[in-house]
Amino acid sequence: MNRIVNDTYRAYEPRPFTADQRKDVTLLFGGVTWRAEQLLEGLFKSAGYNAQRLPDVTVEDLFLGRELADVGQCCPTAFTTGNLSSFLKQEAKRIGPQEVAEKYVYVTAGACGSCRFGQYHQSYELALKNLGLEAFRLFLVQQHEIDQSKASDAGLQTDIHLLLSTALGMMAADAIQDLEYQLRPYEVQPGATNKAAQKAVTEIYDAMLGRPKTLPKWRSVGWHLFTRRFTGAMRRARGYFEGIQLDRLRVKPMVKITGEFYLATAEGVQNYNMHSWLESEGAEVQPAPMVVWFDYLMRYGGQKLEQRFGVNKNARRNFAMLKLGQRVFRAKYDQMRKALGGVPRPMPDQDELRKLAAPFFDNMINGGEGDLLIGKAIWAHTRKKAHMVCELSPYACLPNTMSIGAMAAVQGAYPGMLYAPIEVKGDSDVHALSRCQMVLTEAKTRAQDEFQAALAAAGLTLDEARRRASDRPEVNAPFWKVPHRGAAGTAANVVLELGNASL
Amino acid sequence: MRIPILQKAFAKAPSARAAGQKRALRIGIPRVLNQWSTHRFWTTLFVELGIGRRDIVYSSETSEAQQLKFGKGRGAVDCCYPVKCMIGHYGELLDGLKRPIDILFSPIILTVPSFLCGNVRENMACPRVIAGPESTRAGFQREKDTFAEKGVTYVSPSVSLAEPALAARQLFNAFKGILDGLTPAEMQRAVDRAYGALHEFDSEMRDQSLEVLTSCASGNRPCILALGRPYHMDSGIGHAIENELQAFGYPILWGQYLPLHPEVLDWLYKDLIRAGRIRNPFDISDIWKTSHSANTNELLWAARYGSLMPWITCCIRFSSYECGMDQPTYSPVQAIAESLGTLFFVFQDLDETKPAGSVRIRVETIAYYLERKSPKIMQGKLAAFQDAPPGILLQNVPDTGTASQDPLPEPVQTGSLEIADTTNRQHPGAGS
Ligand code: SF4
Ligand code: SF4
Repeated sequence: MNRIVNDTYRAYEPRPFTADQRKDVTLLFGGVTWRAEQLLEGLFKSAGYNAQRLPDVTVEDLFLGRELADVGQCCPTAFTTGNLSSFLKQEAKRIGPQEVAEKYVYVTAGACGSCRFGQYHQSYELALKNLGLEAFRLFLVQQHEIDQSKASDAGLQTDIHLLLSTALGMMAADAIQDLEYQLRPYEVQPGATNKAAQKAVTEIYDAMLGRPKTLPKWRSVGWHLFTRRFTGAMRRARGYFEGIQLDRLRVKPMVKITGEFYLATAEGVQNYNMHSWLESEGAEVQPAPMVVWFDYLMRYGGQKLEQRFGVNKNARRNFAMLKLGQRVFRAKYDQMRKALGGVPRPMPDQDELRKLAAPFFDNMINGGEGDLLIGKAIWAHTRKKAHMVCELSPYACLPNTMSIGAMAAVQGAYPGMLYAPIEVKGDSDVHALSRCQMVLTEAKTRAQDEFQAALAAAGLTLDEARRRASDRPEVNAPFWKVPHRGAAGTAANVVLELGNASL
Repeated sequence: MRIPILQKAFAKAPSARAAGQKRALRIGIPRVLNQWSTHRFWTTLFVELGIGRRDIVYSSETSEAQQLKFGKGRGAVDCCYPVKCMIGHYGELLDGLKRPIDILFSPIILTVPSFLCGNVRENMACPRVIAGPESTRAGFQREKDTFAEKGVTYVSPSVSLAEPALAARQLFNAFKGILDGLTPAEMQRAVDRAYGALHEFDSEMRDQSLEVLTSCASGNRPCILALGRPYHMDSGIGHAIENELQAFGYPILWGQYLPLHPEVLDWLYKDLIRAGRIRNPFDISDIWKTSHSANTNELLWAARYGSLMPWITCCIRFSSYECGMDQPTYSPVQAIAESLGTLFFVFQDLDETKPAGSVRIRVETIAYYLERKSPKIMQGKLAAFQDAPPGILLQNVPDTGTASQDPLPEPVQTGSLEIADTTNRQHPGAGS
């Protein structure tokens, strides 16, 4: 026996998952918003898999994640590790570990970065080992490799057809989310928006279920470019929101959420339910769309290639292809927005964000969100897109702590910016929420001051504004696009529109 | 034989004289993070660009006094200890020098030249290493621009050091408005020489390590492998714990500078290659799948090297307070290192406090185990190989006093806060 070969450490390698096992195996996945998860479920099912979302994340998952993997994790690692582990643990109790290992596989995104996002699986693997579930299979999908077609007998085919539909699904989820967050704070009938959103997502889910199961590479590209399946479903989804009654003259501070991808997009205990807490405190929230991060990754990829013109042989060609891809990506998202009456906000221009961040953060710094968060914070402040920026920063995050550090200089340059970096540990909500509350109080004052200034500019009193609004019922209709007339707040912009003025 | 003290070799100037134009500028470089593995590149680069050797000034090694005196109240970021310390290094270069600097140079090193290039997915630096300069400078620009106030130009280009052709372009763009008359050709020449010097330095260090190993193999004596980030060689970050172990007569090898001589590698990895586990000695795909980070990749690679090499009977792992990159590697590194019986000890959460008492006790414990277990470990690991060790490891090296006869290793000098002195120490070629 050769000890060097047999006794030395080997990294985890999942047992094969073969095509003929598909019918008996369920893909587990999670980690994105409920809307995106539901659409992913539809996507996997349409591709012939049994698929199941992991249960909603709980604080107990955080503790379990911390217990099972190496110490010092960033909290997204602990949450996601714990979420998977807790599900498997319960299932193992119910049907036994052997059956769990046969019945389920877990699919997660890998990343082309050196932060822990690219190494989550290491924590999962250790957790599986500590749970006695080494035989369980987990698979990484590398997000930077577009086509990862496997041999035809592989159980999991993460080919271009699956990945392009994933992109469209994420866009649809983001567009619906943005619409939802613009309506809910002003709804007259509480709960109407949530109900509509559920139905809307189910509509897209059905569209996802009915997409072609497989297509060869280039036909799939063509299909995704020209299909009206998803925009059609979005237009139908629009109908669910149509009847919602709004009162857009409620004065609310506009709070933009930014931060590390997982925490900024989560809407649950992972970030102390920050979105719903802010709304309950009287704010209008601008959620962080997933698509903006993907757009940033393409911008960053372009920057890398641009630097290599004349150094690497294919840099120019790859740059042109990437730029084309990015243009198509943005155009597709615009189609989705248009299907919802153009109300969901467009993605910000990445070049503008880059320029705004440049004096404070080198745009070649990568990992996490790079200069994106700095650019977004300055953009929201200077372009009057929000009264306040709430940046959700995971405890022990590698890249995010650094861009927050650089924000010190940004705040020096823009002393009027209301910026609330919230360190999220996952189990210390009182501290985090009270920190946020302090900045929010100031944002509320600003929103009120801005509203008064808008009334003055429009030459209206509040009562007159209300009267005019009832003469123009479209201003309280869900699919009326609130024009940006120089105010950050919705009510102030409405008043300015009613008085044909601007700030 | 002498045990190499890596700190002493920091940024020794090249012996060749710069050919081009002389430039009367004084450059300060914070002695932090990946400077610990790339300093020779930067020193040579500036010498080649016509900067006087005495005018390339490194901040001193990290110390509590430095942080207190120059860093207090300027911190803009709450993160791992090595990055937090950058603030004190910047402060020292701005406020602590007898002769002020003109330029504070703090490169954003995106990728690191690594001997594993080509065998791993990427050679990136840790996101905090990359962004450290930006969040640190923010602390000096929050209320007022301290650099402008001091008349210091802050230069902090992002540099892909793992791609030489690109690095030359990035550095030219960074310095073209700063160094009079600089041409792309001049920068290219300087960069080429800088890579040459870095390579030469690396080879020298590896040769010294081979000497240590050869001496151990010839005398059947154990040595210790230090596993950490390059900046754990900074006595303020790694607390020079390895030196305390040397005092017990155990030579220390650093994972960054293990011998890569083909005979040694062939012998160590032959079985794994034959069994199809790896393609070549630099392949780590069987032990570390997500090989994006250069320092992590090298750490994992070195752990396996240490686990196989019979005379390395103990691995000591260093990890800093709140290090995020190390977190996913704790278990794999330990499992790799221990797999054939090598002892494994960790000094974790290292920060500014050096708990001298507990370090002493742990060091004594390690020494105790080393003494008791090393013979068996060496025997067991040797027996795992099908072939006898290669001649290169067993030849008798000229002995200038063995490690075990040299109980008091050369002490590591912590840098003086007076940089003028430190500079002389770091650049012996400059004044002599
Ligand atoms: S970006 Fe931060 S929080 Fe997210 S995985 Fe990386 S280290 Fe963890
Ligand atoms: S490797 Fe660890 S200690 Fe070093 S900069 Fe990164 S997080 Fe900090």
